[in-house]
Amino acid sequence: MTVLSFNRASRLSRRSLLAGLALAAVALRPGIGRAQAAQRIVAAGGVITEILYALGRQDLIVGVDTTSLHPPEAMRDKANVGYVRALSAEGVLSLRPTVLVAIEGAGPPDTVKLIAEAGVKVERVGEDTSEKGVVERIRVIGRLAGVEAKAEELAAAVERDFALLKQQRDAVTAKKRVLFVLSLQNGRAIVGGKGSSADAIIAHAGAINAAEAVEGYKPVTDEGIISAAPDVILMMQRGNHAAAPAEVFALPAFSATPAAARKALVTMDGLYLLGFGPRTPEAARDLMAAVYGLNGDSGSRRP
Amino acid sequence: MTMIAEAATVSTLFASQRRKLAVAGVLFALLMAALAVISLGSGAVKIAPARVLEVLRGWVAGDPEIMASREALVIVSIRMPRLLLGAMIGAALAVSGALMQGLFRNPLADPGLVGVSSGAALAAAFTIVLGDRIFGTVSAQLPFILLPFGAFFGGLASTLILYAIATRHGRTSVAVMLLAGVALGAFAGSLTGLLSFISDDRQLRDLTFWALGSLSGASWTKVMVIAPLVLPVLLAVPMLARGLNALLMGEAEAFHLGIPVQRLKSAAIVMVAVAVGASVAAAGVIGFVGIVVPHLLRLMFGPDHRMLLPFSALLGATLLTGADLLARTMVAPAELPIGILTAAIGAPFFLWLLLRRDRSLDA
Amino acid sequence: MTALLRADNVGVAYGRAKPVDDVSLTLAAGELMVVVGPNGAGKTTLMKLLTGEISPSGGQVILDGEDLARIPAWRLASKRAVMAQATRLAFPFTVAEVVRIGIDSVGRALTRADRERTIGEALRAADIGHLTGRSYQTLSGGEQQRVQFARTFAQLKAGQRMSDRQVLFLDEPVANLDLAHQIALMESAATLASEGVAVIAVLHDLNLAATFADRILVMHRGRAHALGKPADVVTRANVELIFGVDICRENGSADGLPVVLPQNYARSRMERGAA
Repeated sequence: MTVLSFNRASRLSRRSLLAGLALAAVALRPGIGRAQAAQRIVAAGGVITEILYALGRQDLIVGVDTTSLHPPEAMRDKANVGYVRALSAEGVLSLRPTVLVAIEGAGPPDTVKLIAEAGVKVERVGEDTSEKGVVERIRVIGRLAGVEAKAEELAAAVERDFALLKQQRDAVTAKKRVLFVLSLQNGRAIVGGKGSSADAIIAHAGAINAAEAVEGYKPVTDEGIISAAPDVILMMQRGNHAAAPAEVFALPAFSATPAAARKALVTMDGLYLLGFGPRTPEAARDLMAAVYGLNGDSGSRRP
Repeated sequence: MTMIAEAATVSTLFASQRRKLAVAGVLFALLMAALAVISLGSGAVKIAPARVLEVLRGWVAGDPEIMASREALVIVSIRMPRLLLGAMIGAALAVSGALMQGLFRNPLADPGLVGVSSGAALAAAFTIVLGDRIFGTVSAQLPFILLPFGAFFGGLASTLILYAIATRHGRTSVAVMLLAGVALGAFAGSLTGLLSFISDDRQLRDLTFWALGSLSGASWTKVMVIAPLVLPVLLAVPMLARGLNALLMGEAEAFHLGIPVQRLKSAAIVMVAVAVGASVAAAGVIGFVGIVVPHLLRLMFGPDHRMLLPFSALLGATLLTGADLLARTMVAPAELPIGILTAAIGAPFFLWLLLRRDRSLDA
Repeated sequence: MTALLRADNVGVAYGRAKPVDDVSLTLAAGELMVVVGPNGAGKTTLMKLLTGEISPSGGQVILDGEDLARIPAWRLASKRAVMAQATRLAFPFTVAEVVRIGIDSVGRALTRADRERTIGEALRAADIGHLTGRSYQTLSGGEQQRVQFARTFAQLKAGQRMSDRQVLFLDEPVANLDLAHQIALMESAATLASEGVAVIAVLHDLNLAATFADRILVMHRGRAHALGKPADVVTRANVELIFGVDICRENGSADGLPVVLPQNYARSRMERGAA
């Protein structure tokens, strides 16, 4: 019956299955499985994996979703349960988790319901992008992983970092307008409007979202981009591929923006920029530096 | 009694065809049974075949100790409803395809043509995007409870609208229905587009996920909701076989042969709307089953609907069960959207069939 | 003898156009009537009215004493069979299957052996026994026409269980046939008529019509221009008036049937060329 599953993930899962066999016998019975030593976590959401690693409790993770890109070893070492919104009930259960820690958007809902019915505790983690949200997330995950003290330490450090960020932010006198471009296909831009995660990180970085006029991630017209008058264009770096300033500013809509004059294009890693985990103050600071510290050349910041 | 030579030839011809169909029927049934057994026995959770049998025996006998085991949970609560749902939906889609192709006398017709898909998609988008705004404060999960109902009634409603447009003086024009289906599909598509424009990030991703189709999240509840809709259709559909055969010669000819043509058309359209609406509601949009299965059967055994309809049900169930088996084991513990698999298997296979047929026609 | 099929002042109008206007006729059991007339004279529309495929906007059709409009399709199928001008098939049935579809509905009460015998008989009557297993779509137009005749024939035979008062409608049944098969098909139809079936056929060949018809109906601009015995209807005056063709009519065969030959054809063609 295993003929078809020859990929790395399932080999891994089988290995972890064998390893976890002794534990599983206990873990399977609800109630007993809550013992900290037996905690087996499936992390559905990149930020959850990131925080668990930051807390040094990666040993508890038995599976991660495909958005768990940081740290890179997470995807390498842990079984892959697929895209966070397309989980498989049996796939998750095959890892014998005691708890599924999932962001609010994880799903599909029917699958999560089935997993819960199978006796796996499902813990939802909020996707709040505020400073309070980030800190609270660390505390919640710390509690789930049984490392409250460590989490408190990390949360405090992040809080301090945010405070420092606030100082730096307050020092900014002339705020710049940043336009986050999610995708640029056939010259058609989808930008991050009000309420989007990009909007939040731009605010953290002490800049103004040039696309405030739209809600969420929306396609905008060329004239919309011109009237948004961004000083800086912000894009995500996908893998090792980043958009080149020459390409972007060759487009008519972008060539007419203030950003074009200084070829001000900033590309940053997606999860680093929009993950809203412990690295967020740092990411915001990087963005701030890129936006305000530009010397005419484009800044490419890596985590 | 004198037996004329032609009658003897006819007897031999029909008898050999019957034998061929009987053999094929048995083979298809065995294939389906084998796939069902393999499906129950495989998945991300490894369970030894002996244990699978033990669990099944325990399930039948109602042994509480076995039923409390994790293996029982996986087999009985996850794999079994998924197998049943997949088989039912595969059968429903394939049979609906065969019905539509017979009704429209066009081998490329599919259930999407009568507006089921576009209507269901619009209703689904409506529940995802606006359900949140209307019921958002009550429960974030509510749109997902409403979604299947929305999709089902959306599909049914758009089909009935099309039917009403195409029917004048008690006669349904199949050509008008086809054209109106294209227009209504475009209209529903624009509304769906509008809804996806005003949707937020999360809703948009829910929309995309739903449009891809998946059997994940199959549960006994879903089986219980879908079965009363799909099974009666599957059981009733062979009764249309003679009528559809006659209809292939034309509506006037079918009428001359004694077929109540208008009633036949109404019955076929309603059956498709119900079966496809229920399938779409339970598993999203799964393409290609409705075209590939009847087409393959026609190439193997000819266009007789008395064979085509029941065999489509059987082979459709087999195909979707097989595709789902691949979907949930290939990248386990993750899974592939099944729509990707049916299209990836179906499309090249379909092209190959077309190439092969063309060559035989040229010869 | 009571009329098996009767049309009382039937007509159909689409707006101001009247493809068939105020036609009355009776057809007795065992009679073979041929309908002739130029293209667009309303022959096919008349057939559609008489078979129930379309409803008249005026008048009514009586089949075996019943109003045609009130007979349900399944009962109608045992009382009359219809061969249309051309029947295309969307999917590749074999010849035997096409004929079988003809009796699937009406012959439901028959045993399998009876059904197969009926199909065999029909294949023989249409001289297509050698095509039994062939795919309908690969046949020539003439062969397809013979298959459709066989299908109609089988339907009549199967329907005889339920009704022995039957009508056979043939709309240009020989359009694609060679001379031998034209005659063979009309002979089969005549045999059915001799067994008591009322036959009504649309033909273009006046000689073929005159040879097989008991009576000929001449349609002209939607109306019944003439109805009577071949010798009385196929006259030089009628043909000149309706077809605009000058003929030389002779009483060719021994039984006094008219033979129609176009004449002055070469001259009129020369005139057209000169103009």
